[in-house]
Amino acid sequence: MADHSISRESFLKGATVGAAALSASFPAFVPSRGEAADVLKVGQIAELTGVYVDISQPEVYGAALALEHWNKKGGVMGRKVEVVVEDDQNDPGVAVQKVRKLINQDKVSAVFGTVNSAIALSASGAANSLGALYMVTGGHTDPVTSTQCHWDVFRTCHTAWQETQATGLSIAKKFGKKWYLITPDYAFGHSLASGYEAVIKKLGGQIVANDLTPLGTSDFSTYITKIGPAKPDVIIVLLAGADFVNFLKQANSYGLLKKFPVAGPQAELEPFLSLPPESRVGYWGVEWYYNSDLVYGKKNTQAANFVKEYRAKHGTPPSARSAFGYVTLDRMLWAMNEVKTADPVKVARKLENAHFETIWDGGAYYRGTDHQLMWPNFFVEMRPNGTPADKNDIFNVIDRQPADKISKSAAEQAQVCNLKYPS
Amino acid sequence: MLSNVAPSVFNGLILGAFYAFVAIGLSLIMNLTGTINLAHGSFLTLAGYLAFTLVSKGTSFWFALILAPLLTVVVGVVIERLLIVPLYKRDPIFSLLLTFGLSLIAEEVYRLIWGPNGVPFSAPGILGGGISLGFMQFPTLRLFIAVVLAAAMVLLALFLWRTRFGLRLRAAIQDTEMISAMGTNIQVLYMVNFALGMALAGLAGVLASGLLGLSPTMGNALLMPAFVVAIIGGMGSLFGSIVGGLLVGLAISVTTLFIPAANEVIMYILMAVVLLIRPRGLFGTEGLFG
Repeated sequence: MADHSISRESFLKGATVGAAALSASFPAFVPSRGEAADVLKVGQIAELTGVYVDISQPEVYGAALALEHWNKKGGVMGRKVEVVVEDDQNDPGVAVQKVRKLINQDKVSAVFGTVNSAIALSASGAANSLGALYMVTGGHTDPVTSTQCHWDVFRTCHTAWQETQATGLSIAKKFGKKWYLITPDYAFGHSLASGYEAVIKKLGGQIVANDLTPLGTSDFSTYITKIGPAKPDVIIVLLAGADFVNFLKQANSYGLLKKFPVAGPQAELEPFLSLPPESRVGYWGVEWYYNSDLVYGKKNTQAANFVKEYRAKHGTPPSARSAFGYVTLDRMLWAMNEVKTADPVKVARKLENAHFETIWDGGAYYRGTDHQLMWPNFFVEMRPNGTPADKNDIFNVIDRQPADKISKSAAEQAQVCNLKYPS
Repeated sequence: MLSNVAPSVFNGLILGAFYAFVAIGLSLIMNLTGTINLAHGSFLTLAGYLAFTLVSKGTSFWFALILAPLLTVVVGVVIERLLIVPLYKRDPIFSLLLTFGLSLIAEEVYRLIWGPNGVPFSAPGILGGGISLGFMQFPTLRLFIAVVLAAAMVLLALFLWRTRFGLRLRAAIQDTEMISAMGTNIQVLYMVNFALGMALAGLAGVLASGLLGLSPTMGNALLMPAFVVAIIGGMGSLFGSIVGGLLVGLAISVTTLFIPAANEVIMYILMAVVLLIRPRGLFGTEGLFG
């Protein structure tokens, strides 16, 4: 039998090669922030591994389109823009390291990204401690723009509160006031559940059960068999990503979707497309959709072009996630270009309350009080097989709620959020 | 609350059978060659995607259920021969690192071929309905899965305990050098054993994708419970994997009923308790990794 122990020679060889490979990834001469005059770098953190990869990737794609547009226009302040994307592995701790790495090592001028609420919180804390601008693309938990808000943190997607207010009233009207909640057991799920608790309290209804499911649960059978005997009017599903798919697919196999209506604050296009048509049911909140007059009309060429270019590049239509990525980077670069610097304080001040028109009708603005983007939310019912012309067109948008109707008022937010700009 | 217990126990047993099945595949490979196959989940996913592709090209689900695992065996054996064989005689850490790397590569490759989003894959209509068990309506698909898994386990047991090849395999697990000295081609044993593991992974993969969402990460999500099951049952014991699987399935299911938020941690608690009382696992052989 051959001797498989490592000889000194092969160890040295391996170690040398290994060391060379490692050092290549840490160049000795890293330009400090602002030194590389011709390139403006911004960082993006994304869940490129883990359960949220299918909804995180579109945020990266959406941002890439905004990047392309700005570079085509000649860049920002005459400088070419570069986005450094880091995988946060869907882990709040790793995300903090990645934000620090982007700012300290890659010398990016600002950071944006994430779909995960827990990461939105950890990463915004990390960016704030380094005094860098951070824009949350898709983490919905409330504290990001309320109790844990920061002067240098902005958020594009809706808050969990906004989503529950937008959908809660309609759900009660359509199905009744006895709700069964299936809630993912982390920040995002807890935020949503408390939003619905507030709505149902106002309406005098009842939450018959609120089952917490660990993130990444693959088998929901026991949750599903508990629901029947509780006899709710409606099952409200707060899950996202792969968990959402697994739940609906299994609920359907137990015949549950035929017995009880399902609804929820947030339907995302990607997970729904990965479901077989028989499981595409329910009544959901949606933050943006690529094909509806209620979202954008014929005059909105920016939206039409965004959809066209995105489809040409990726073969799939853009989702709300793609819109988050696109709008976030677009606004960040706009503000830097306007104030002619990447100075976080000046950029943040510029973003506040600046109204803009974008890929939905009616415009939007990042509210000065809490840095939350104020924009409409939509309601959809499912079209399980799409349309004859487009099998991806599975949402039928039936209603639109304006931002002020679904948000806490600026005065209410001022009580809980203190932005604390550096003096 | 009590009316929920019977369905939960039933759900738990079927979930457990599934975990046991994945764990047996892991154990087979681990027992003979000491390879801790972290890419096992990736092979599972591969089989799911192959079945999806076959079905979307017009093949029937039943044919795909057999063909996809066979194709997975071919891919698995090629990888074993080319990459894993050179590491068999080394410390297990080498093959562990290799298979870890392979699983990362595989996930990216699946993403490139089939896209980062899940794909819609469901079992044929005949398995779509439910069967009344008296106390509950149970999905036909889950019963079907349980039957297939049980049949596959019986076949595997017959192969290992009733054929000469199985005898050699079991002997090789005890003493590879002795069986090699007595004239058995040990490389063929390794290969067939790995192929068996792949076949089990493949079958589990096709069945799982009917049940769960088929996405690049599907298999890796099932890998961790399978490892826990193998450890609880005892490294080296196929029977242990079955008992461990059923125990974990039951524990998860019953915990979900009473303390839903704790249903993930329960299997680790179970593992810790078993290891404290019986460090080699319930049915494990002592000092397998001496």
